[in-house]
Amino acid sequence: MAETLRVVGRPVPRLDGLEKVTGRARYTVDLVVPGMAHGAILRSPLPRARLRGIDTSRAERLPGVVAVLTAADLGDIDPYYGQVIRDRPVIAIDEVRYAGEPVAAVAALDPATAREALDRIEVDYEALPPVLDLDAALAAGAPRVHTRRPAGAPPEAEGNICFHARVARGDPEAALAGAAHVFEHTFTFPMVYHYAMEPHAVVAAAEGPAVTVWTSAQHPFLVRADLARMFGRALEQVRVVVPYVGGGFGSKSYTKIEPLAVALARKAGRPVRVALSVAEACLTTRRHAARVVLRTGVDRDGRLVARVATIWLDTGAYADNGPRVTTKAARRVLGGYRCPHVRSDAYAVYTNTVPAGSFRAIGAPQTIWACEVQMDLIAQALGLDPVELRARNLGRRGEALFDHERPLDADLEAGLRRVAAAIGWDRPAAPRTGRGLAVGITDAGAEPVASAIVRLHADGSASVHESSTELGQGVRTVLAQIAAEALALPVERVGVVASDTAGTPYDRSTGASRSTTVMGLAVEAACQEVRAQLADAAAAALGTGTGSLVFEAGRIRAPDGREVTYGEAVRAFFAGPGGELVGRGYVRGGGRWTPPPLFWEVGWGAAEVAVDEETGQVRVARYASLADVGLAVNPPLAEGQDEGAAVMGLGHTLFEALRYEAGQLQNGTLVDYRVPLAEDLPALATGLVEDRNGPGAHGAKGMGEGAINPVAPAVTTALARACGVVVTELPLTPERVWRALRRRRAEQAIPAG
Amino acid sequence: MLRPFEMHQPESVEAASALVGRYGDEAAFYAGGTELLLVMKEGLVRYRHLVDLKTIPGLGALDYDAASRVLRIGGTVTHRALERHPAVRERFPIIAEVERQVANVRVRNVGTIGGNLCFAEPHADPGTLFLTFDAEVELAGPRDVRTVPMGAFFTGAYETARQPDEVLTAVRLREGGPHTRWAYMKFGIHERPTLGVAVALTLDADRRGVEDVRIAVGCVGPTPARVPAAEDILRGAPLAEVDGRLERAAAAAAAAADAVDDLHGSAEYKVEMVKVFVRRAFRAAAARFS
Amino acid sequence: MDAAAPAARPVVEISLTVNGRPHTLTVEPRETLLDVLRVRLGLTGAKLSCDVQVCGACTVLVDGLPVSACTYLAYEARGRQVLTIEGLADGDRLHPLQQAFIDHAAFQCGYCTPGMILAAKALLDEIPRPTADEVKHYLRGNICRCTGYKKILEAVAAAAEALAARHG
Repeated sequence: MAETLRVVGRPVPRLDGLEKVTGRARYTVDLVVPGMAHGAILRSPLPRARLRGIDTSRAERLPGVVAVLTAADLGDIDPYYGQVIRDRPVIAIDEVRYAGEPVAAVAALDPATAREALDRIEVDYEALPPVLDLDAALAAGAPRVHTRRPAGAPPEAEGNICFHARVARGDPEAALAGAAHVFEHTFTFPMVYHYAMEPHAVVAAAEGPAVTVWTSAQHPFLVRADLARMFGRALEQVRVVVPYVGGGFGSKSYTKIEPLAVALARKAGRPVRVALSVAEACLTTRRHAARVVLRTGVDRDGRLVARVATIWLDTGAYADNGPRVTTKAARRVLGGYRCPHVRSDAYAVYTNTVPAGSFRAIGAPQTIWACEVQMDLIAQALGLDPVELRARNLGRRGEALFDHERPLDADLEAGLRRVAAAIGWDRPAAPRTGRGLAVGITDAGAEPVASAIVRLHADGSASVHESSTELGQGVRTVLAQIAAEALALPVERVGVVASDTAGTPYDRSTGASRSTTVMGLAVEAACQEVRAQLADAAAAALGTGTGSLVFEAGRIRAPDGREVTYGEAVRAFFAGPGGELVGRGYVRGGGRWTPPPLFWEVGWGAAEVAVDEETGQVRVARYASLADVGLAVNPPLAEGQDEGAAVMGLGHTLFEALRYEAGQLQNGTLVDYRVPLAEDLPALATGLVEDRNGPGAHGAKGMGEGAINPVAPAVTTALARACGVVVTELPLTPERVWRALRRRRAEQAIPAG
Repeated sequence: MLRPFEMHQPESVEAASALVGRYGDEAAFYAGGTELLLVMKEGLVRYRHLVDLKTIPGLGALDYDAASRVLRIGGTVTHRALERHPAVRERFPIIAEVERQVANVRVRNVGTIGGNLCFAEPHADPGTLFLTFDAEVELAGPRDVRTVPMGAFFTGAYETARQPDEVLTAVRLREGGPHTRWAYMKFGIHERPTLGVAVALTLDADRRGVEDVRIAVGCVGPTPARVPAAEDILRGAPLAEVDGRLERAAAAAAAAADAVDDLHGSAEYKVEMVKVFVRRAFRAAAARFS
Repeated sequence: MDAAAPAARPVVEISLTVNGRPHTLTVEPRETLLDVLRVRLGLTGAKLSCDVQVCGACTVLVDGLPVSACTYLAYEARGRQVLTIEGLADGDRLHPLQQAFIDHAAFQCGYCTPGMILAAKALLDEIPRPTADEVKHYLRGNICRCTGYKKILEAVAAAAEALAARHG
């Protein structure tokens, strides 16, 4: 079924290239809305406190202040949001639950005045004892982060447990009891911050019935739904516009500060821009820290017989996407392995810290790290090569690891062997260097609900209207390619309109690697509708039937050789110089999308590291990454996503950890929060497996998240091979590695017996 | 967002000094601003008057005097200018080497040596290096000019011997002799260094022993400091004994380190790293003799 | 800053050249070059990100040298030439770095891109044929969270070639 593709599969230059390299690309914070005032947020200095009172009178009197917002202004709206559990208030009501939580907001004529006004707001806090980590939150008698059950909370959740998810099959305890070997390890993954370089920004206008927000949001329609519900508007009265977004990675998933901006704009009676600093963005969202306890039983040949996983996720003060992260974590810890008896329990736990939400490959980096490092430990204990151990246990293509799941759509073993070869797995390693590898699978996709509209204009050019947000991943270019292919147009004749709920139809979300497949199909379907109308118009214009018309390069040719351009066909149809053909396409759940997931996103990775045993410093010299993409619609863009995800994975592996002390975030700026830099780049090789077997157009799958998962386990096991220590807490900072080496030396010094 | 302030443009050191004297706590000297503006942005300090030292003629001069073999670095000389000056590259290559690694290129283009030394951020490089030179700091006040040996300049974290109304007009460093070599090693994964060790090693003319050694450790404690305990162990050592003594010297340096727990790591780890890097920096300096 | 600034706030008049055009502005000493460029002159290519001089998203060239515009007072640019990303292309003719970034897909979200390109320009102006290590060291001060840097380094190398070919 080798179709010849003209545009899809080509390294088409990005549609947004010119704008981005010339500085003309506009992001939310670059927009100037006439009459716009500037917002600033007062944040709680305490991790947990009762709000006894707020006096804003001095702030309101400051010249230039337009409005001051407190909880008192929220009485006529539904002030809570959260996509599963609606526990997060627009601003703190009666109680603050984390240091950094918004307590009040000011709109002023200029940013300096807004900031100055914050100092004039007096808040009476009654400090309450906070729970600042998992152990404190789970202790008997621990104070409750939420004392009342929020809407959407599971009825059985107790204490500070926010959510629980379980995957279970068979009788794992019995199987463990009978297993030849049982391994138990605990892994600790830190809180990390996305550091999208553009912090969250919103401009909100809420004068009269219409509400308009320009926002750096990944999911405009979910934001629209929240705003409509909270502010009592019909969906059609709420407009969410998303310009270019300076990075998302999940930090801008779902609703974040839009309700606060709308509430402030409503009170101000004029548009208000709320633009967070990076320090404030650090106080808005993060990744779930995790403690993963894995008990695994294997038979004498190293085949998995049972696995019991307990995953504790620190979800912070509010649920945000915690429930979904929890559900994913429970499954993702099990990997692509066959294992008859399983019980995996994942818990999201509230703490009085910054709320945790979506972050690239939700629930996977933490759990796949644990699973893959343990696989290596099992291999080591049994004297097996780690590749062989995995090969013995990985599911095969076409095999469903669980009855309710889509069968695996990738050859996991083949990919593993490929990255092993790429890193030189069988070559002897130089002293104090080592190699490691890992494979992770994630159930990708999120709800497959998307619509697209394609308009063919009177000159034969086309516009694609769709609401996948351009976060940097290149979605507009990919969709333009899919449309150009489907319409038989040069890609230069296809434009993609920016997301705007007033003009681009419904898409559930942008994330979880779903846009190329789900939105791609919607766009393709819309193009098919356009083609059908074009065929009718061309046939009428040419006086032929619609059968046997050939579409090529913007022209339609009849069997007798006569042809019309698309533009001519449109103009003929409308009998005039103007008009357009409009096609609609959509994707909805069920049917071909079941059983879930939409497809499996697979990431394979292999690392070669060197360790300085005196300092504990780890350097990744080489890294090989492989992604299973079905078909790369735009190969350089696919590579770029893979490379970016792999380097981002180096962050939580070697450098990144948010540090708290007494409930205060200590390193919320780039001076003290260390992300990967150009000089950290290893020799990086990326590969793409293209089996054309994805659910998307031309056999495409999604990608962009898978590569982040194998990094930590590949580096951790490579380090173990380099110097004999297995570090089960991330990041692998020099000190942490040094301490592990020191402990091992001390243990070795103790005589046996 | 900075709070409002007035910018003063004095044309002499006396005038600058007088301005700070007049406005007291509300005034600060300002050169590159790469440290000062950050703490002002964070709201940790509030100044209503900044006194721009860059408008004072001559304060940005960078000269080498061949007769005295002294490099005079004016207070407002930038890291970049210092790194690139021909006399520095030729006669003080270690300075060029270290300056090239300070922060990032943008900070180096704007930040000044005087500002760096006076701000006395514990996690910094130049001060540690300068301690291993014959070096002194020139401070000019409203009435007079005085000289403070480099070793007496740093008095605490963010604290120096400079009085509030004194301007650091220059740092003077003497070029090393033909038998002296330097090495500087910095370590850490954060934006600012976790540890810096500078070694100036002087062998005797026959290259048979250590005539003198200067070891300075920076970033782990509140100030960079020389480690006489370590130096004493190595000074006078015949080459054959150096390796043995180096272990003891490194241990002495570690014992003397005034390390604190912070985001860079625990005091315990830093102390151990002092040992590691004193050893390595000494060997690096020794290797430069071939 | 606009209507809210009371007349009592100190101001200073500065003349500077931005992308070849002279400007005379009355600014408060506290205004950063980034504020002036973005708000007064509408040149929004330079971005505010970390605000602590680490990430480089605010990089502009002052007399050819990269500075962190977020922590560089507009006052400091008086009498100087400032180059922002908007001034890099020659009309419709992109600078070889801009073209290389497009050709090598060396950007994704684009937020770091203006600063990255200007930093690379300053690098190539100083070292026309940098080694890979020299590029990595120079650009350690420009963070990218999207690309993983590999394609950026490839683009800079390609641009270096193109510039060398152009200048012979």
